[in-house]
Amino acid sequence: MTPTPSETFVIENLRLYFRTHQGPVQAVDGVSLTLGRGRTIVVVGESGCGKTSLGRAILRLLPRNVQTYSGSVWLNGVDVMALPEEQFRQQVRWTQLAWVPQGAMNALNPVIGIGDQIAEALLAHQKADNPLSARRAVEEGVGQVGVPLDFLDRYPFELSGGMRQRLVLAMALITHPDVIVLDEPTSALDVLTQANIMNVLKTIKRSTDTRFILITHDIAASSELADDAAVMYAGQFVEVSSADQFYREPLHPYSQALMASVPALRGDKPLAAIPGQPPSLINPPTGCRFADRCPARFSKCSEEPPLFSVEGRLVKCWLYEERAHA
Amino acid sequence: MSAVLALGRPSRQVRDTVVRVATYSATRLFALFITVVVAVYLTILVANMGGYVDIIKRGEIREAAMMRVQLDPKLTFLTPEDRSRRVEDIIRLDEQRLGLNRPFFPRSLVYLRDALQLRLGFAERMTSDTGSRLVRNIILDRLPATLLLFVTAELLLFFSTLLLSLALSRRYGSALDRLVIALAPTSAAPAWFYGIFLILIFASMLRVLPYGGMVAAPAPEHPLAYALSVLQHMILPIGAMVLSTFFIAIYSGRTFFLIFSSEDYVEVAKAKGLSSNVIERRYILRPTLPTIITGFALGLIGTWTGAIVLETVFNWPGLGRALYQAVGLFDTPVIVGTTIIYAYLLAITVFVLDILYAWVDPRVKVGLEGRR
Amino acid sequence: MTRTLRELRRYPSALAGLAIIGLLVAISVYAVVAIPYGEAIRLWNGGEGVWQRTPRNAWPAWLTVFPGVHLSRTVVVSSTGTPRREVDLGSGVRQITMALPFDFPYQSFPQELAVFWDTSYTDKAPQVTLRWRRPDGTETALAEIAVKPSDSYRISSDQPLQQAVGGRPEVALFADPRHPDQPLRGRYELLIRGFLFEPASHLDAQLVVYGQGYGLAGTDGQRRDLMIALLWGTPIALAFGLLAAVGSTVSTLVIAAIGVWYGGWVDGAIQRITEVNLILPSLPILIMVSTLYSRSIWVILSLVIVLGVFGGIKGNRALFLQIKEAPYIEAARAYGAGSLRVVLHYMLPRVVPVLVPSFVTLIPSFVFLEATLAVLGLGDPSVPTWGKVLEDAYHSGALFVGQYYWVVEPAVLLVLSGLGFTMLGFALDRIVNPRLREM
Repeated sequence: MTPTPSETFVIENLRLYFRTHQGPVQAVDGVSLTLGRGRTIVVVGESGCGKTSLGRAILRLLPRNVQTYSGSVWLNGVDVMALPEEQFRQQVRWTQLAWVPQGAMNALNPVIGIGDQIAEALLAHQKADNPLSARRAVEEGVGQVGVPLDFLDRYPFELSGGMRQRLVLAMALITHPDVIVLDEPTSALDVLTQANIMNVLKTIKRSTDTRFILITHDIAASSELADDAAVMYAGQFVEVSSADQFYREPLHPYSQALMASVPALRGDKPLAAIPGQPPSLINPPTGCRFADRCPARFSKCSEEPPLFSVEGRLVKCWLYEERAHA
Repeated sequence: MSAVLALGRPSRQVRDTVVRVATYSATRLFALFITVVVAVYLTILVANMGGYVDIIKRGEIREAAMMRVQLDPKLTFLTPEDRSRRVEDIIRLDEQRLGLNRPFFPRSLVYLRDALQLRLGFAERMTSDTGSRLVRNIILDRLPATLLLFVTAELLLFFSTLLLSLALSRRYGSALDRLVIALAPTSAAPAWFYGIFLILIFASMLRVLPYGGMVAAPAPEHPLAYALSVLQHMILPIGAMVLSTFFIAIYSGRTFFLIFSSEDYVEVAKAKGLSSNVIERRYILRPTLPTIITGFALGLIGTWTGAIVLETVFNWPGLGRALYQAVGLFDTPVIVGTTIIYAYLLAITVFVLDILYAWVDPRVKVGLEGRR
Repeated sequence: MTRTLRELRRYPSALAGLAIIGLLVAISVYAVVAIPYGEAIRLWNGGEGVWQRTPRNAWPAWLTVFPGVHLSRTVVVSSTGTPRREVDLGSGVRQITMALPFDFPYQSFPQELAVFWDTSYTDKAPQVTLRWRRPDGTETALAEIAVKPSDSYRISSDQPLQQAVGGRPEVALFADPRHPDQPLRGRYELLIRGFLFEPASHLDAQLVVYGQGYGLAGTDGQRRDLMIALLWGTPIALAFGLLAAVGSTVSTLVIAAIGVWYGGWVDGAIQRITEVNLILPSLPILIMVSTLYSRSIWVILSLVIVLGVFGGIKGNRALFLQIKEAPYIEAARAYGAGSLRVVLHYMLPRVVPVLVPSFVTLIPSFVFLEATLAVLGLGDPSVPTWGKVLEDAYHSGALFVGQYYWVVEPAVLLVLSGLGFTMLGFALDRIVNPRLREM
């Protein structure tokens, strides 16, 4: 496609298929998105829709049984997908593209001190001149996420879950990367700690122009942070729009159903469940993948709809065909 | 311990660590000592089988005494009553010498005290190379040969299988991987079994390596030639040990490292852009070090206990073969003594293992309660 | 369970293992049916009386299928049934003339020659003269001896005869004069002329020309057909391995479960015992017990189980600790399930599938343990096991004299059983172990 301004982070047609005994799993099936500087996009979807695989595909953290891995990821004017492994490791990993994994419980090396692990990223990519400056940078980063400094010499098993999550976040921020992918950062935590972490994220978002890709199934919690929202279903994006528009008026029937299932703080909202099961990613159905469960299904849905552009938003649904061309 | 940064740990913390590890070691030492005492006492009990062996011994003493009196030409003129009195005298003296005139329980406690101090008494028939009948000398004579063979073999196996299994874990599904999996069942047979076949092939049929023993007979004079001869005699026994553990060790190691390579923190390390060398060292080996060390110690323990048959098959002049000979001669003090030494060896191995564990595992170093 | 079996089909090693185990079971069944246990013991411990007619240290006879391998077989000729001439010489003395003919078609010499007598008399033993007639007509005088009941004349060990014929009789009496290194093939005859001094006495003879080859498995130094030990060794090995594995696995399971569940001092005590067990040198203890106390296979079996029980506790303990914290355990306690019931009903069934692979792999280790004890000379002397055969072979120096079959046969069976179970066990491990399954 056309080269984009180096300010923007662009993913084009990302595909990730896995090889299994029963056939290829099409976990990520042609996903594209654009993220401007300082913006946060939240990717929501239910379990098994492929959103974790999307995160791994972006970060190039691939398992052994990869069958297809294609597309482009433009960062700072360079298609990092095309870079050879060693170059990717040295130039892109962590310095430009960082990760806050799901369940920080096990994300930290149990036998190395916290401070050392955070500093490792700096020293491995030569972002610090000497151990002393590294230490100072680590202290600063850890302070940013609200962790007391004397925890730096401790081991992960000495810390609570919330503490660990914050430190993992600090570790991701330490090299000031352009993009951070957060995979369910608060799912394993209690509600209070969740709120804590969200506040930390909000503070950081205000003070840096790091781009965040927040992958979660928790629509409610993510609403505070998101500038943009994308809904993923069966390996594909079915709706992409700004957060405001999305939360107020979801367009795609699936997004609407998701919204309808989230309780509201005020008022008596009857909660609706979405009947049926998401389709298997091994042999996804032809046509619209949500058709089986869609209340608004009609004849055209047996054909796969493209992503229509509707008033600056993207919707993968035949219902919006006319509005798109209007 | 960190190699990335010298983050300047306060000296108080270092002292705390040392104290903690020392306390842990002391506790373990004490617990192990109790264990050794129990194990040794059990050995003594078994060796005496509650007095069964005493009966045998008494019988033997009686027979020997009667023979002595009968065959002594100076005593042929004695009357039958005098003769039987002589026999009883000799029996009484012998029984006193061997302590059979006291009841078993206090005797066993005395044995225990002596055994723990490695005062293992006198052998009944066997002697050491210098002619001493002290069980301790007999054992000390043979111990170096056992250590030489088995420690060498274990070190060789340990390091080679560690490196190879680590390398293999990176090649999951490859032809080499499948080959190792296919060959893993070779562990079914113990080392001595392979030993018999190695002897059959290389000594009996091909005649390129010796049948057994530690050194050629007559032994070469020159130290270098001597060493080379010993090395030559070590080839087949070590080969037997390798055959029986090599493939299973690589297979287990590779499975082990595969599992630990899929840990979350390894993924994070990859995402962090660390080089694969660093990842292997700090994120795969370092966290699994306790388990690896345990594996090494258990391997060592395994070889100790397998030593007996292997040494017998290869006629290796070590502790195992000494035990076997003692068994054949019903030489109880040597049997008990050797078993006790084995118990001590095992205890030492376990203890060293525990110390290493304590040093390497931060959960122990720091204290399970943490410092919150 | 069925899913596991189906997945097993994907692993060729597992199928091979199952095939081998099936073969071993078939052999066991055959052994038990064809030769009842009592009979097997009697044969194995029979001694010279039972094994008189079999050659010593004979190679397996079927090896002659290979070119260049010549093994003579045993020929037995009995005088009952062959014509004899009796001449009454008066005053109760009779002269008997018998000929024991046989064909010798083999290309290698016999191993040994012996004549077994069957005679009865009151005072005066019969006197016989023996002559040897070869296919080319030449005759050799063998001996003139008096015959006693249940006696035998060992032609091969006859020293004067050796000197007379200039070499070992079984070679010299058969050698082809034109090619002395080959036997003369054809019809031989043992001519017996005997004098019976009592009217009631009788005389019968049996000539045994021992071959170099015998049966499917050959014979050992005591003339015993090795097939008996090989056949009967199979069910014994399988039973020993199975019983020991079951015994120790079940005991370990129960003890670990109890320890984890009750916690406190029970758990502590179990851990201490485990440590003692770790330090207690098992093999030396086994050796001590079998030397000083009893070598009965049942005693050894029990001791092996006892010593092995606390060995596997650590691993099981980890498993049980995990399960203990599981929510359904909490639920069970909430509805008032007693501790024992929780342990037996809930914890054990969860752990059992994971333990199956190690159980399967444990079996051959016990089989080899029994063989180890046997090789050390501590096996049950009356029971024919593979280990015993191996030990006999080793101590008779079979390796040094080139009697390879004696060592190879039990070894092959040991290896087969080891391989069979281990291959199956490894495949099961790959299926059942949850962490391995993810790969």
